[in-house]
Amino acid sequence: MAAQSTTSNRANADARHGWYVYGVVDGDVELQEDARGVGDPPAPVELVRSGSGDVAALVSEIGLDRPVGRPEDLYAHQVLLDAVAVDAPVLPLRFGAVVGSRDAVVSELLDENEREFVSALRELDCELQYVVRARYREDAILREVLRDNPTAASLREKVRAEPAEVAGDLQLRLGEIINIEIEARRSQDTQWLADLLSPVTMESSVRPPTNELDAAHLAVLVKTDRTADLEEILHGVAQEWSDRATVRLLGPMAPYDFVVAADEPRS
Amino acid sequence: MTTTVQPGAGGAALDRPAGSQLAEVVDTILDKGLVIDAFVRVSLVGIEVLTIDARVVVAGVDTYLRFAEAVGRLDLSNTGGKGLPDLLNDVQEGGAKHKVKGAARGAIEAAGESVRGFLDDSDKRPRKPSRRPERGED
Repeated sequence: MAAQSTTSNRANADARHGWYVYGVVDGDVELQEDARGVGDPPAPVELVRSGSGDVAALVSEIGLDRPVGRPEDLYAHQVLLDAVAVDAPVLPLRFGAVVGSRDAVVSELLDENEREFVSALRELDCELQYVVRARYREDAILREVLRDNPTAASLREKVRAEPAEVAGDLQLRLGEIINIEIEARRSQDTQWLADLLSPVTMESSVRPPTNELDAAHLAVLVKTDRTADLEEILHGVAQEWSDRATVRLLGPMAPYDFVVAADEPRS
Repeated sequence: MTTTVQPGAGGAALDRPAGSQLAEVVDTILDKGLVIDAFVRVSLVGIEVLTIDARVVVAGVDTYLRFAEAVGRLDLSNTGGKGLPDLLNDVQEGGAKHKVKGAARGAIEAAGESVRGFLDDSDKRPRKPSRRPERGED
């Protein structure tokens, strides 16, 4: 195992090392030897099994004297978990979880939560997460707003007629109305999309918008054999919306949006 | 056929990228995922900046002014892009209104650029997943 080469270092500087935890998988999962995680250079990823062997944690050794969080570290965390998720159910941990020692991974993380982990992993069998993001084309959505909202349309004409110094308040009001209109469309379109996808999704979860032109931002959990159906529906949406919004599908990925703390029920 | 849809390009394809943008990764792995108490937390560098960058979406005055300007620029008589008069207007207008917009935009773009600059140094981002675990029972 690659980690053995660092054993002597570890003995000298135990307090300065920890074990970065990516996620939890079934105990029978095997990992390719070249799997790498966070750190510079990227650290080899290992599996640490619970006492019973029923579950295992994906971990890599990490120096605690150096902060993590470079873009490379963020990508490493997600790329590893997403690759694992394609082949086996995985409970992804939020970025940045570190346990003090290998023993603590077993006793404090795995053994203590084993029952919950096992049942969550069973629930997630053959399910993958995708994220759907749709974004309005600005010109198109603004035209839509002007068409549907007479107040906005007339305010726009007033603003254009006034000299810039005078138009300030009107502009603010116009912008606010447009924003309210876009928010209303976003919530309507998000609901429409979630309903449209519901025949092929096990669960869906609305994410907050990350851009003021977002039309929808949705995480969905899909059985692996329904992935093609999901893509087909979204191709249709992209076509239907081609003039007003772009549609982006991310995944497959680990079920980040559908795991909750071990002692809470899954929503 | 291209899978990248540029706004305004009129393409109808579903955008199906092989990897996520950094902001999308941040949305996912910093915001979601299992949280277990009693963990040591490593010090995280740069995360705050990244998180803020990804959250610059709360609509406020800046957003309103940007929408108002954008809707003012719309040429309702045809569907083409910016006409010459509009471009001239942009140059001639000055004053507080533009400064507000400039400041708001600047913050977003500057943050985005620093992240991008980061990536350009050693662009390892959407790596192909080369590490496949195998289930013992398969």
